[in-house]
Amino acid sequence: MEEIAKILNIISICILISTFSLVASKRILSYLNAFRIQSILLAAVAAIYSVYYLVAEGKLEGIIIIFFMTVALKVIYIPKMLKKISLRVEYKVEKDFFINIPISIIICCGLVVLTWFTVSKIPLMNNGYNGIFLVQSVSVILMGLFFMISRKKAIGQIIGLLVIENGTFLTAMLLTSGMPMIVEFGIFFDLLTAVLILGIFVFRINETFEHIDINKLRNLRG
Amino acid sequence: MLFLLLLIPLAASLLFWTVKSNRKVINIINISGTSALFAVSLFILKEVLEHGKITSNALGGIFYIDAFNGLILFTTTLVTLLVSIYSTGYMNTEYDRNIVNHSSFRLYYSLLHLFIFTMILTTITQNIGLMWISIEATTLASAFLVGFYNNKKSIEAAWKYIIICSVGIAFALLGIVLLYYSAFNSLGNTLQCLNWQFLNDNAGTLHANVLKIAFIFVVIGFGTKVGLAPMHTWLPDAHSQAPSPISALLSGVLLNTAMYGIIRVMTIVNKNAGNSLFTGRLMIILGLLSVGFAAIFILVQKDFKRILAYSSIEHMGIIALGFGISSALSIFASLFHIINHSLTKSMLFAASGNVYLKYDTKKISKINGIIKVMPVTGTVFLLGLFAITGMPPFSIFTSELGITIAAFKEAKYLAAGLLLLFLTLIFAGFTSQMLGMFFGKPHKDHGIGELNRITPVVLLIILAIIAVTGLYLPPFLEKLINSARDIILQV
Amino acid sequence: MPGTFLNIMLQLIVVLIAAPLVNGIIRKIKSTIQHRKGLPVLQMYFDLFKLFRKDMVISENASWIFTASPYIFFVSVLTAFIFVPVVPQFFSFGFTGDAILVVYLLALGRFFLTLAALDTGSTFGGMGSSRELMISSLIEPSLIIIIFTLGLSSEAVSTSFQSIYSVAGSLGTGILSPVYLLLFAAIFIVIIAETSRIPVDDPATHLELTMVHEAMILEYSGRYLALMEYGASLKQLLLITIAANVFLPFGGNLVPELGFLIPVLIYLAKVLIITVMIALIEINTVKLRLFSVPNLAAIAFILALIGFMSGYLFGR
Repeated sequence: MEEIAKILNIISICILISTFSLVASKRILSYLNAFRIQSILLAAVAAIYSVYYLVAEGKLEGIIIIFFMTVALKVIYIPKMLKKISLRVEYKVEKDFFINIPISIIICCGLVVLTWFTVSKIPLMNNGYNGIFLVQSVSVILMGLFFMISRKKAIGQIIGLLVIENGTFLTAMLLTSGMPMIVEFGIFFDLLTAVLILGIFVFRINETFEHIDINKLRNLRG
Repeated sequence: MLFLLLLIPLAASLLFWTVKSNRKVINIINISGTSALFAVSLFILKEVLEHGKITSNALGGIFYIDAFNGLILFTTTLVTLLVSIYSTGYMNTEYDRNIVNHSSFRLYYSLLHLFIFTMILTTITQNIGLMWISIEATTLASAFLVGFYNNKKSIEAAWKYIIICSVGIAFALLGIVLLYYSAFNSLGNTLQCLNWQFLNDNAGTLHANVLKIAFIFVVIGFGTKVGLAPMHTWLPDAHSQAPSPISALLSGVLLNTAMYGIIRVMTIVNKNAGNSLFTGRLMIILGLLSVGFAAIFILVQKDFKRILAYSSIEHMGIIALGFGISSALSIFASLFHIINHSLTKSMLFAASGNVYLKYDTKKISKINGIIKVMPVTGTVFLLGLFAITGMPPFSIFTSELGITIAAFKEAKYLAAGLLLLFLTLIFAGFTSQMLGMFFGKPHKDHGIGELNRITPVVLLIILAIIAVTGLYLPPFLEKLINSARDIILQV
Repeated sequence: MPGTFLNIMLQLIVVLIAAPLVNGIIRKIKSTIQHRKGLPVLQMYFDLFKLFRKDMVISENASWIFTASPYIFFVSVLTAFIFVPVVPQFFSFGFTGDAILVVYLLALGRFFLTLAALDTGSTFGGMGSSRELMISSLIEPSLIIIIFTLGLSSEAVSTSFQSIYSVAGSLGTGILSPVYLLLFAAIFIVIIAETSRIPVDDPATHLELTMVHEAMILEYSGRYLALMEYGASLKQLLLITIAANVFLPFGGNLVPELGFLIPVLIYLAKVLIITVMIALIEINTVKLRLFSVPNLAAIAFILALIGFMSGYLFGR
């Protein structure tokens, strides 16, 4: 486990960087590309675990299935579907922001520091690689949440949700080398169904409201 | 037997698409599905009361019913049966008025049974991972039901519902991952590590700090689904814009299943810590916040379904408060309150559905003279309003009294005082806003008389149940609640 | 002392000869990939030679700042080069904090450059100055964090380049750790910004909308222009030297019999690697809109900050 911990550390830092580049983008296609890179790195983590288990214990763990499912769903299918949706609602560049990009990058940096600070206060958790992994994955989750609340358009919210799920998945992989198989399958199918349903709702919002600006949905108040 | 519980709603949901498109057939499938479900759950309940628990070794022992489970299952199936009978009447009226066309009609019932399937799946499993999956599935299954009418307000409500609940559930997943991690180091890497029984038995060996953090995330995550403040913002919109039978199910059943998830994790954390200080404090604070928020917002509402939705937030806050106080009396009262709230709230939503169909508006200011126009619905609605705010002899009074007494007994005077203050405010809000709807002369001529014959019967049945259980608790129910309380308190 | 003086002289000679070559290589790579013949690699030497002999035209409104700035700029960069080791054999002169001294010498040069641009009273100069100061003020925090992180990693915990290089040299393949990868990415962005390369600023443009560095030296001609250009290319070589020697730490002491010859060649090879990377980036990206440069600066800042955190916070 210690041998691959170093490589996993580098990969998880790259995932953190890709999340930063997600927050720093203005165009839908660059959101999707950053998400794709993040998912490829996530699949790489799964692949490293499966290779390690193959070599160290000589058996093929279920993690290899997770690798294939991550690649099939998060790298290929979901970005393709979101791209199709964004083209159909004719939305390419986000023109106005609640918070402009440099400040949101600095806020995300603050989130990473906050996570580190919190994790360092937990005894038994703040030494060795476990603490580092926890900080990195929880930072990805918090940055996904921040991305979701700082974008005005519906597609941004879907991608924020996907990044949060990626972060949770990363936590599961790094801390516990994968959850039980049934649970992982269930999570994948839930995610897929959620994205499909959200996609259908984006269409419905576009048809009814003629735009996908979530900020302007203010009929129900109080 | 357990698998029948899963098969029946799933089969019914698929059956709707295969039979010929005839309204009568659809209604028959609907009612027979839910009554079969209720019958099976009665059998299971009998077995649980005799043997203590039911387990099955299929798929690694993830299905498991004990008294706590059985209580939630019983409430779910009972309310589902009554709401589905009501739904027949409601949907028939809407169909006659051509508000829904035939394919939407079929889609509605199919999604309804799929929704019921996911909720049943949540209640009969002990694997916390599977619980998470099915709670997320309930969100997805009910999304289209909330946005059923496809107008601007419904779509906005449905979007808010999916996004906020999915984010909350994602945080709950983080909590579950941390829970698994706390068990992983000492207990190994199997599916058993997420089973409640296994975790409960070995609760001492779990990693305490990680478990506490996991609990916080689980409370925030599942608490979003329960409607605890400050994560409740989706609830008034979703519950008021959905069709009334769906609102009744969402308020009456779904909130319970999410609360079930929180309590399962809470028992593990309590057993690990040896006392309930940490979890109790968190639950009391969230409970009081919920009741407080509900009280403030109820005072300014203009839409009667939204008031009922805020009242759901209030009651879930009361239940959380009861579980947080963690004494024998308060947990008994909370469990009893779960049943009472489900029944009363579904009755209220059903009655409000009737009012909406008759008057075609949801605004309080435009409605007058319900008692004259629809005598049965009006009376039930009026009595229901008093019931939900805690008036004797209805059952909610009994359970709220139990929680308040327990709070005083445990020397949590501040919590008890705030609770009583908020309950008074809510009572004031309800009566000042809603009483005007019942009396006086109606604005337009809507035609005297109930909409159909089915709906008043359902309303009267539920009214009878909550009136009787307020004064006399049937022995089987008392035994069930006692056993559930013992499971939660770990005695 | 004479040994030290000789070393410093040798180092400066090597650097003065190598600096215009970097510009030529970048231009040659660009033109080759664009299927042009392009200027010869040694073109900048010819340009400098020509400019040194030409007449100068100086505006009437210019003050002493205009005439003094080219010299100040050139000398400040050259002085900064004394403290940056090129090869270990040349290096015997350093003290704690000389990295910070280097950064501030570069800042001194830039300060006078911007003042001189304002001095002539032309609008292009003022515009170039304001843009340059905006970009550099956004980039400088990243540079400082990089230097501090590198300094913290040395055993003596000092921000002198000597200790920084010695730590990096002792790491071997440990250089592939997250800290150094992130710092390398950050310092790469800093190099691009400070040397006015695409995507921050186009070095070959004279359009009002797009020029930053070129705008500041627009009024200069003849000898002064030669000094400015030479100084800019020296500054570029300095930053590339820092990046190359810290992040590609090998072959400092090969073949000691021949003295400094082989290490100097290895140093030039390392500089070539980084130069090729800069050229490839320059070919493949477009110049950013001026108000998008803060985004790039923010990315450099957080890369440096996360590099710092992953080295010093996560591990402790």
